[in-house]
Amino acid sequence: MSLTREQIVEGLVKILGSDKVITDKQVLQESSIDRFRKYEDVCGVYTQPLPAAVVYAESTEEIAAVLKFANDNTINIVPRTGRSATEGGLETVVENSVVLDGSRMNKILNVDTYNMMVTCQCGVSLEVLDDMLREQGYTTAHSPQSKPLAQMGGLVATRSIGQLSTLYGGIEDMVVGMETVFPNGEITRIKNVPRRATGPDIRHVIIGNEGALCYITEVTVKIFKYRPENNIFLGYTLESMKTGFEILREVMVEGYRPSVARLYDPEDGEYYFSHFAEGKCVLVFMVEGPKAIAEVSAKEIENIVQKHAECEKVNSQLIKTWFENLNWDPKKIAEEIDEIAQTQNIGFTTEVSGNWDVIYDIYEACCNRVREEIPDITMMGGHSSHSYMNGTNMYFMYYYNLVDITPEEEITKYHYPINKIIVEETIKAGGSMVHHHGVGKHRTHWIKEEYTSSYYILETLKKAFDPNGIMNMGTIIPIKK
Amino acid sequence: MKILVCFKTVPDLEMLSEEDWAVDSNLAVDVSFVKNILNCFDESALEMTLKLSEYSESFNESLTLTALTIGDKKAEMFLKTLYALKFQKAVRIENNEDVRFFPEVIAAVIAQYVEKINNQDVVVLGRQSGEGDNAKTPLLVAEMLGWPCITQVINIEPSQEERLRVTSMVEGGTLIQVIDTPCVLSVGNAPVSYLRVPTLKDKMSYGKRAIEVLNINVFNIASLLNKCYHEYQLIGLEKISNHRAGILIEGATTAEKAKKLYDHYLKERLEKQ
Ligand SMILES: Cc1cc2nc3c(=O)[nH]c(=O)nc-3n(C[C@H](O)[C@H](O)[C@H](O)COP(=O)(O)OP(=O)(O)OC[C@H]3O[C@@H](n4cnc5c(N)ncnc54)[C@H](O)[C@@H]3O)c2cc1C
Repeated sequence: MSLTREQIVEGLVKILGSDKVITDKQVLQESSIDRFRKYEDVCGVYTQPLPAAVVYAESTEEIAAVLKFANDNTINIVPRTGRSATEGGLETVVENSVVLDGSRMNKILNVDTYNMMVTCQCGVSLEVLDDMLREQGYTTAHSPQSKPLAQMGGLVATRSIGQLSTLYGGIEDMVVGMETVFPNGEITRIKNVPRRATGPDIRHVIIGNEGALCYITEVTVKIFKYRPENNIFLGYTLESMKTGFEILREVMVEGYRPSVARLYDPEDGEYYFSHFAEGKCVLVFMVEGPKAIAEVSAKEIENIVQKHAECEKVNSQLIKTWFENLNWDPKKIAEEIDEIAQTQNIGFTTEVSGNWDVIYDIYEACCNRVREEIPDITMMGGHSSHSYMNGTNMYFMYYYNLVDITPEEEITKYHYPINKIIVEETIKAGGSMVHHHGVGKHRTHWIKEEYTSSYYILETLKKAFDPNGIMNMGTIIPIKK
Repeated sequence: MKILVCFKTVPDLEMLSEEDWAVDSNLAVDVSFVKNILNCFDESALEMTLKLSEYSESFNESLTLTALTIGDKKAEMFLKTLYALKFQKAVRIENNEDVRFFPEVIAAVIAQYVEKINNQDVVVLGRQSGEGDNAKTPLLVAEMLGWPCITQVINIEPSQEERLRVTSMVEGGTLIQVIDTPCVLSVGNAPVSYLRVPTLKDKMSYGKRAIEVLNINVFNIASLLNKCYHEYQLIGLEKISNHRAGILIEGATTAEKAKKLYDHYLKERLEKQ
């Protein structure tokens, strides 16, 4: 027999003490969603089942005890750290879920500047960590736009990626080792070594699990030398995205590794670049590292771009100023809520990836269809921000006016149909439907089409590590009806 | 009723880093690297006027809305948006002079535009711009036109017979007046602070109309400009430091810290309310 809400709360209080168990209605409401349902937050209308409690764990042992209690009593757990999730990963879709918050586990445990790694608890804010490292001349080199919001546990759990990824990689390239707790309370540690060939790389079971397999309590990531004085910014305007993708490809294939390599279409670029590139695409690079390497890379990238007559170079200070204003802090989040409430205009993003031979087709098909098929669209565009040897990503941005709808219909009338177009077109072209935000709960409909025959591996992982189905149900894998 | 909304685009100064705040030998800060935005009070004025236009339609009265800005080509993007939002006319008065601190020049151009080029019943302006911070233009426009001016306007609604119902902030409260036109409205710190967003369809259908561009030289301002250059001299520019102090509340438990916060910082304020 499943426990009542009251019994769940009682059990949690026994484990953690009443201080760490929150049942205030407003807190529960706000904890039932993430930024996928930000319009519900704007309207103060919450449609998801309210969790039984939000609990704050302060140690790995407390996480283990809560998970074991949940596992024994089949209570759905939604792991949480920085709360910047965008795809429904934090939604409490199961009745009487418990939100297990690790943000108080915020100690930086060890900075090892000889072996070049830093170990911290899951609730360490990336910005706090990186600011501390920078003071000592080091950096994590992880720089997602949500850097001021996100925390280390969530960043690893979502397979996040930062703006400097073309040089430093995604979080999966940065994680050295981890401590993780599984639903049965088992605490596991993967040690910190430079490489191993001891069977499959089990870090990848954990990285990107989105709280659907286990709880990440501690992370060790690489650190790098911080040398901003060597950064060189390059920016160009150009007519077509097609040329832009060709240039990105050439830069990658020729072996250059700028830290930032981005291509904006005119619609997406308008927000940032209207003062110098109205109606144009914008191509941006930043190179960094040891001075000599940075200088040579910049020169060679310039040579590649210069072969394309339509590219016009812009003052690099324009690009530096843009780069310094890219991140989102809590103030910006609050302003956005106010703006949505006043204008009834709201924007979201969907990020996908594809090989070089299909990325332009994906871009074009998605933009055309969304512009034609979705009502009240005010902006549809996007940029490529993470390039690889084989291809790149497309980060679609879209805004619409909310016309004649109830708060719930924001998703059914606009957001879902747009997501559907982008995901379907991407999968049809052979790309991946999620590049870095995670599957969350709203792209699970297409998970089998994404994985095809390898879905077997994913499903088996879930069955093996979470046999009772208590870890963030409905995330990555849809709930069977 | 014909309504003219005057707006200014300003550099987004929040984008400047500490080191970018360098004053050059011409006493200017280089803002060419940051994007332009609508001056905040002007953005309120534009949205408020669009709302008024919607309300007026339900009163069966239609408004003719004109948007006017004085500045360089960068402002045209905003004028296109205003066309897409169904402003009937979008006007840019080409100017490359530095008139940041000469509101009388701007006011003279606006007043002459209204008197000689495009008669209006109401002129709506934001109270001041983040760049010059003069807070004089609406008052000077009213004086030059010989019209009454209401300051600190926070809402405009239609009323009967060519009148408007205007809400403004006054010392200690808000004032609602039904006023005759013509008049000048100076928009203050209004709850409406964002301009609505046009759909792509409206941008295609309405946003492509030609912007009317006039040269500032067609206005009779040469002697005024000369006078300003002689009478005012910019002596210095300094960034106002708005660093805020912070206090860390110490305590053994959260409850203890919350109690200290309440006793020392909140209690008195709450009691005052
Ligand atoms: C403005 C904005 C910009 C963004 N920019 C980027 C970007 O540039 N790159 C990028 O990759 N992402 C970006 N994101 C998405 C988001 O910030 C990332 O997914 C981030 O990694 C989430 O971290 P968090 O600490 O906020 O996690 P949360 O939001 O708390 O959780 C995210 C997911 O991880 C799970 N989870 C959280 N903590 C744990 C844990 N300890 N153990 C197991 N599972 C856990 C949650 O259940 C949830 O499914 C952006 C989001 C916003 C709002």
